[in-house]
Order: sequence, then structure tokens, then C-alpha cells
Amino acid sequence: MTALTDRDLIVRAMRGDHDAFGELVTRYQTGVFNVCYRILHERGEAEDLAQESFMRAYDRLNTFDLEREFGPWIRRVAANLCLNHLESQKVTTQFNEERDADETQRPEAVAEVRERSEQIRGALASLPAQYRVVVELRHYQELSYDEIAAELKIPLSDVKSHLFRARKILAEKLHAPD
Amino acid sequence: MHLTDHLTDVQLNEYLDNETAERAQIELHISSCDECAARLTTLQDLFSEIESLPELALSRNFAAPFTRTSSLPAQLPRWLTLTATLQAALALVAIMVAAPFIANLLPSIEAPSFTDFFVQIQSQWTAWLDILSQLQMPTLPEIPVVELSSLVITLTLAGVSMLWLVGNGLLLRNQIK
Repeated sequence: MTALTDRDLIVRAMRGDHDAFGELVTRYQTGVFNVCYRILHERGEAEDLAQESFMRAYDRLNTFDLEREFGPWIRRVAANLCLNHLESQKVTTQFNEERDADETQRPEAVAEVRERSEQIRGALASLPAQYRVVVELRHYQELSYDEIAAELKIPLSDVKSHLFRARKILAEKLHAPD
Repeated sequence: MHLTDHLTDVQLNEYLDNETAERAQIELHISSCDECAARLTTLQDLFSEIESLPELALSRNFAAPFTRTSSLPAQLPRWLTLTATLQAALALVAIMVAAPFIANLLPSIEAPSFTDFFVQIQSQWTAWLDILSQLQMPTLPEIPVVELSSLVITLTLAGVSMLWLVGNGLLLRNQIK
């Protein structure tokens, strides 16, 4: 199973092979969860939306263009889902550094890196939802301005202003004197 | 763009995003302007910081709802069930038809237990036919009593089993990984 390409797995999944889709999920679940977490900044919600992203992808698999790459596609599905979720909630989530701190690394060895990561997450969490999504699509999913505009169905000028303002806020928060 | 003017934030952002048609002019300006070069470096550092954010580990497996145990249909498709039943019936007929022919072709080896067992079954079959004939049923042909050696029976069963396994393997090849 591991030797199969994403395309092979998608073809199998389209024929009803659940395990093939399970393997695709295994390959991309960390990335998709992190997309959701960077946008939502709440682990429980991020997990639910990540799961929902895969469910939706599975339901729409028959319309998937096999010439596309699955990874970028599923990450965009997740980003859009999170944005819709934020817009429907219309609440400002507060970042809880203690609760949501990165648990993957040992504090003895990388305390400084971890602290900085938490600062970056905190700064990202402070951005308005629209800015956060644009930052996600540009910096983590490497979409062009035009692609972001098409993905979010907003004018190109809005993409630029959201992105540049977001960066300005991030710079102020991250480089502010303690 | 005048080379003497400082670059705007928009120009710097678009330059780092590879979204500008003025790359050559911007690079020319940066090469001669320490202030803009410093602003570009600061912005570049911010990009690096944002993109260096490590990924969080998962606390649950999102693939679970799609795995075999939870997502296979409760029953096999109807066509598969019918095909398997037909296959079983054909295999049974194959055993009954093939056994006497193989017995004639291969030298018999004494195997009292198997032979006695089959003779007993065939005797009962004959007796059952007699009972049926007494019920004024149409006359059925008698099945000749054939003595089978254990080797013949073993070979026949092994052959049919192999056919059975290969057949099932072909039928279920999409379900087996």
C-alpha cells in the first residue's frame, strides 16, 4: 500500500476501496490538521474541521481531477471549510498558549524555539479571520495572489491588502520590544 | 519607478512574493540603497519566521472512519453471494463426477476406512432410492457402487480445494490486499 502513488490510491478509492482513502488520509492528516489549527487556533475545532475536510473530500472524490495533486487540494478544502466556519461563528477565538502549546518537542532541548513558535501562533491568532486565511494560503500553501483571489472569491486588491496588513501586524507583534 | 525613491512596502511584499514585473528595477535599487535593503531583509526574516512554524502532532487518527473494519459493507454484494453459491454447487458436482473417472485411471490403494465409508453412503443412497421407488416415483437410474481408494479421494479433494481457493481468490481479489 505504501508504495502506491496518491493517484493510484485515489483511483482505488473512487472504485470503493475505503482503505485506499484511509491511506490518503494517513498521508495528509497532519498537514490538514495544521491548516485548520493555524486558522482556528483551537485544537478541538481544528480536529473536527480536519475530519470534516476528509469526509467532504471523500464525498466529492468522483469529481476530483486526477491531474491535480491531492495534497494541495485537500489543504485548500480544509482552509475554505475553516473560513466558512469562522464566518458562520463570527466569534473571535482567544489563543490559549498554555492549552494549545506545541507538545511535539522536548522543552529542555528546544525551549527557545518552542517559545518563539508560541509567539508566532499567538500573533497569527490575533489576526482577523480573513487575514489569517490569506496568510495560510500564501505562506503555508504557497498560492499566488490570483489563486488566492480565485479560491476565496475576493478581488485581487483585497488579497494584497489583507496580506500586507497581516504581515504588518505580525511584524509589530513579533518584533515588539518585551 | 525612480531609482532615487525608496521602495514602498507593497513593492517589497510583491517582490518577495514573486508577484512583480519590476524585479530588475527593484534589485537594482536595493543594490544601491542600504535602507531598502535592510527593510527587505527584515521582511524576509518575517517570512522565514512565519514559515518556520513547526507542525503540531495529531491527537487522533482521522483515517479511522475510512478503515476496513469500520467502513466495509455489512454484507457482500448480492452478485458475489450468488456467484459463490454457484461455485460451491459446481465444485460439489465436480467431486461426484470426477471421482469415478480418477478411480479408474489410478491404481487403487487399500484404504478400508475411506472405502467403507463411501460404500456405506452409496448403499444408503441406493436404499433411499428404493424407498422413493416404492412411493411410485419415476424410475431413477441406479448409481454404480464404486470403490475408491484413499489416494484417489485425497487427490480429488485436494484438486477441488485448489480450484475452490483459486476461484475465491479471483472473485475477492479487489477485497484482498
